[in-house]
Amino acid sequence: MRRLAAALAGLLVVGGVAVALSLEPARADSHDLEPGSIERGARLYQAGCATCHGDSGEGVDGWPPIVNAGEASADFQLRTGRMPYAQERGQQAQRKPPAYGEQEIRDLVAFVASLGDGPAIPEVTLDPALLSPGQRLFASNCAPCHGASGNGGALGGGAIAWPLTDAPPLIVAEAMITGPGQMPIFDWPQEDLNATVTYVEYLRSAPSPGGFSIGGIGPVPEGLVAWFVGMAALAAVVYLVGREWDRTGDGG
Amino acid sequence: MTAERLIAASLVVSALASLALVVVFFVGGHPQIEGILLALALGGLGAGIVIWSIRLLNAPIQVEERHPLASPEQTRNDAASTVDMRSITRRTLLVRLLLGAVGALAAALAIPALALGPGPGRELFQTPWRAGSRIVGDDGLPIRPDDLAIGSVRTVFPEDAIGSPEAVTLLIKVRPSELRLDAQRMSWAPEGCVGYSKICTHAGCPVGLYRAEEHALLCPCHQSTFDVLRGAVPTFGPAARPLPQLPIDVDADGFLVARGDFPEPVGPSFWNLTHTETDG
Amino acid sequence: MFRWLDERLGLAGWARTGLRKVFPDHWSFLFGEVTLFCLVVLVLTGVFLTLFYVPDSTPVVYDGVYLPLHGQTVSAAYASTLDISFEVRAGLVMRQVHHWAALVFVAAIVVHQLRVFFTGAYRRPREINWLVGIGLLVFALAMGITGYSLPDDLLSGTGLRIIHSVIISIPFLGPWIGSLLFGGEFPGHAIISRLFVFHIMLLPALLIGLVGVHLAILWRQKHTQWRGARETESNVVGKAFWPTQVFKSTGLMMLTAAVLALMGGLIQINPVWIYGPFDPTRVSAPAQPDWYVGWLDGALRLFPPIEFTLFGITIPSPFIPGVLLPGLAFGIMTLWPFIESRVTGDNREHHLLDRPRDAPLRTAIGVAALSVFVILTLSAGNDVAAVILNVPLEATTNLLRLAVLVVPIAVGVLTYRVCVELTRREAAAPGGTRPVAVRLRRTADGGFEEVD
Repeated sequence: MRRLAAALAGLLVVGGVAVALSLEPARADSHDLEPGSIERGARLYQAGCATCHGDSGEGVDGWPPIVNAGEASADFQLRTGRMPYAQERGQQAQRKPPAYGEQEIRDLVAFVASLGDGPAIPEVTLDPALLSPGQRLFASNCAPCHGASGNGGALGGGAIAWPLTDAPPLIVAEAMITGPGQMPIFDWPQEDLNATVTYVEYLRSAPSPGGFSIGGIGPVPEGLVAWFVGMAALAAVVYLVGREWDRTGDGG
Repeated sequence: MTAERLIAASLVVSALASLALVVVFFVGGHPQIEGILLALALGGLGAGIVIWSIRLLNAPIQVEERHPLASPEQTRNDAASTVDMRSITRRTLLVRLLLGAVGALAAALAIPALALGPGPGRELFQTPWRAGSRIVGDDGLPIRPDDLAIGSVRTVFPEDAIGSPEAVTLLIKVRPSELRLDAQRMSWAPEGCVGYSKICTHAGCPVGLYRAEEHALLCPCHQSTFDVLRGAVPTFGPAARPLPQLPIDVDADGFLVARGDFPEPVGPSFWNLTHTETDG
Repeated sequence: MFRWLDERLGLAGWARTGLRKVFPDHWSFLFGEVTLFCLVVLVLTGVFLTLFYVPDSTPVVYDGVYLPLHGQTVSAAYASTLDISFEVRAGLVMRQVHHWAALVFVAAIVVHQLRVFFTGAYRRPREINWLVGIGLLVFALAMGITGYSLPDDLLSGTGLRIIHSVIISIPFLGPWIGSLLFGGEFPGHAIISRLFVFHIMLLPALLIGLVGVHLAILWRQKHTQWRGARETESNVVGKAFWPTQVFKSTGLMMLTAAVLALMGGLIQINPVWIYGPFDPTRVSAPAQPDWYVGWLDGALRLFPPIEFTLFGITIPSPFIPGVLLPGLAFGIMTLWPFIESRVTGDNREHHLLDRPRDAPLRTAIGVAALSVFVILTLSAGNDVAAVILNVPLEATTNLLRLAVLVVPIAVGVLTYRVCVELTRREAAAPGGTRPVAVRLRRTADGGFEEVD
C-alpha cells in the first residue's frame, strides 16, 4: 500500500551530533479508488492538459504522449508543479508550487493511470539500517548529477539537476522509477529504492559538524570564502597592525 | 590609562579562553566552540601585543644607511684569486675523468627510481574485456536486455573485473530506431543496449552525467559532452575523441556479453595512442 | 643567561646589530609575514594530523561512528580521515584549520607577490629573492596538491585522476612518469603513501629551507621602502627590530592564527564524509580542485577539442593547457626581472619602490596577466556559475573563451591609460610634483647632505 511506513524512532549519532530522519506524513491511500475520481479527473484533464497531451494522452503536435505515463509519473509531475508546463517549449519543466489541490491531484492521477499501463506510485520505507547501502547507491548513481550533497548541479544543454533538498522520499522514488525530463530511469528492486530514499532523506537533514556548510559543493565556495572572508580579514588585520598610528616618534 | 586597560583586558580574555579550551577538551570537544575559544585565546594575545606596540612602545623612527652590497674590488679580486681554477682545470684529463665519474655516479644513483613502478605497459591499450565476458553490474549479477528500461543507464564491468578502472562501461538502453551508428556498430547494440567506456577521453574522469532526453553524456570535470546515439562523438568541451564503444552481444542464455575489448584505447590520450601493438 | 651564551657563541655583537636593525614600516609589507604565519599554523596543525593519519590505500571495512559509511570498504587513509574528523578529539577543528590555512596561505603568497610585482621590488639587487619566491610558490602549490589528495575521498581522487591524465599527455615521457609515480596503472596502491612522503617530508623541508633563504636574503639586503621625505635610495627609514617590529610581528602571528582558528571552527571545509571514498569508476559533480589549481582546471575546460598527430606522435588535448600553459606562465614569471631590465635597460640598484603608476607598462602587463589568471580560475567554477546565473553551461564556457582572449588586452590598455593619466594629472597639479628629487644622505657628523 502506498504509505511511508516505518518511522525512524532511533536517532542516528553522527559525529557526536544527533540526527533524526524526519518523516513525511503518509499520504492517503489512493489505490482504493474513490467513486467518481476518474470522471472528475477526466474533466480536469480536458480543461488543463488535453491541449498538449491530447484527449486520450496520445500527445498533440509533438508534445509528449502520456498514455503509459502511469500514476507515479502523473503524481510526480503534478505534485512538484512541473505540470502544467509553463515554460517556453523546449525548456526544462520548472519545479513550482502545485497548481492543483490534493483532491484534484488524486483525481487527475487516477485518470492518467486509467489511460494505459504505467508504473504505479511506489511504496518506500525509510530504514536506518539501509543508510550505508543507500550512500553507495547514491554515490554511484545520483551524485554525478545531483551532487554529493544533493544540492543539484548543471547538466549542460541549459538543463540542471534539481536540488534534492526539497524532495520528500516519495517524490524521490517516483522520479527514480519514471525518469522525468532529462533524468534516466532507475527502476530498481524495492530494497535499493528504500536505501536510496533513506540516504536522500538523511542528506536533507544532514548536520554539518564542521560549521556553516557554505553550500556543501566543495572548492568553489571554499575558494571564495578563503579570499573574501579569510584573506579579507587578514588584509584588515594587516592594515590595522601596520598602518601609521603616529608619526610623532622621531629619533632621526 | 586606557591603553593599559585595553591590553590587560585582551590578555585576560585570552587566558580565560585558553582555560575554557582545556575544559571543553575534557568535557568532550565541539568543533565550533573549540574554534571560537582558540580564536579568542590567540586573538586576545595578538591584540594585546599589537596594542602594546602601538600605544606603549613609542619607538622612534630611525634612519639607517644602506651599505653597498657589492664588496670592494680588492676583496673580490682576492676571493677570485683564492679560487684559482686554472691550477685545477689545466689537468684536463683528470678534470674530464672527475666529471665523468660524478656523472656515472649520478646516473647510478638515479636508476633506482625505476624501482618505483613498472614501465608503461599494455594497460594503456587494453582493458579486461574479452570476447564472451559477461556484462555485470557492481553487484556482480549478469544483465538481460529486458532488465533495462528504455532511458536507463547502468555502470557495468566484465564479470571477472568488477570495479576495474579501465573496463568500467556505461550501459545505456535507447530505442534501437534512434541509434545512428554504422552497420557494424549497430550490431554491437542488441535491443538498443549500447555500451561506452565511462572514462573520459579528455582527462579520464568518469563520464557520469546523462541527459536522457538528448542522449547526451556529460563529464563533470571539464564538461566534454558525448552523443550516445552517434557513437559517443564529442559534441562540446575539450574532449577530441569519442568514447570507445564496447561491442556487445547476447549469449545463449540471453545475457549481455562483450564481443571483445574496446576497438580503441580507453581514457585520456597519450603520445603513442595510434601506434599498433607491434611498435607500442 | 645571555652572558653564558655570549661567552660560548659570541653573540652580543650580532645581537646588537640585529636588534637595532631598521625595518621600513608600511602595512603592505606585512603580507609576506602573514604568509609565513600561515605556514607556522600549517606546520603545527599538520604535525597533529600526521599523528593520526594513516598513509595507506589498503582496503579496510569502515566501522567508525559515521553511520552512512558504516560497513563499507574504504582505504585506510580515508578511514583515518573520518576518524580524525569524528573521533579524534579536536581532530575536526585541526583538519579544518589546516585546510583553511592552506587556502589562505597560497592567497597570501599571491597578494605578497602582487605587492612585490606592482612596486617593482624585485629589481636589482633583489632578483635572487624573486627567484626564491617563485620557488616558494611552486613548493606551496605542490604542498597544496599533495595534501588535497591525501584524504582519498571521491573528490580528491577525481583530481588525482586528472593530474595523472595531464602527466601521461606529455609526449614520450608521460606514460613513463605516470607509471613510475603511481607505481603502475592508475590508481594503483602506491600513490597515497608516496604523496604522503612528499607532503610531510620532502616538500616541507624544501619549503622551510627556502623560507630561511628568503628571509636571510631580505635581512642581508634590507627591505625596500616607499619614497618619502626622508627615504632615499641609500638609507632605510623605519623602526628598529626590537621592540617595535618584534611586537608587531608576534601580534600579527597570533592574529593570523586567530583568524584561521575561527574559520576552522565555524566554516566547514572539505566534508570528505559527504563525498564518500574514492572509487575510480565514480564521480560527483561539481568537481573542482582547490582554488589555486583552478586556473589550470579552467584552462582545461576552455581549451578547444584539439588533438593532433604529428609524425605518429599524438599531442593530447590536455597537454597544451595542462603542461605548456603552466610551464610558460612560470617561465615568464621566473625570468621577469631579467626581461624587464633587458627591455628598459635599467640595471641600477633600486631600494625605493615604484608606485604602480610609475611603471605603466609593467602595471598594464601585470594587470592583464592577473586578468587571465582570474578568468581561468572563474572558468573552473563555470558549472556552479551556470546554476547560480541560470544560464546554459555551454554559454558560460563560450563566454569565458571569448573573455580570456579579449579582457586581458582591454584591461591592459585601460590600465596603461589610467597610469599615464594619473601621472599627468599629478604633474599638472599646482605644486604637485611628488617628492622624488630630494635625495639625502646622512653624514658622519649626523647632518644630511643632498646627493645627485
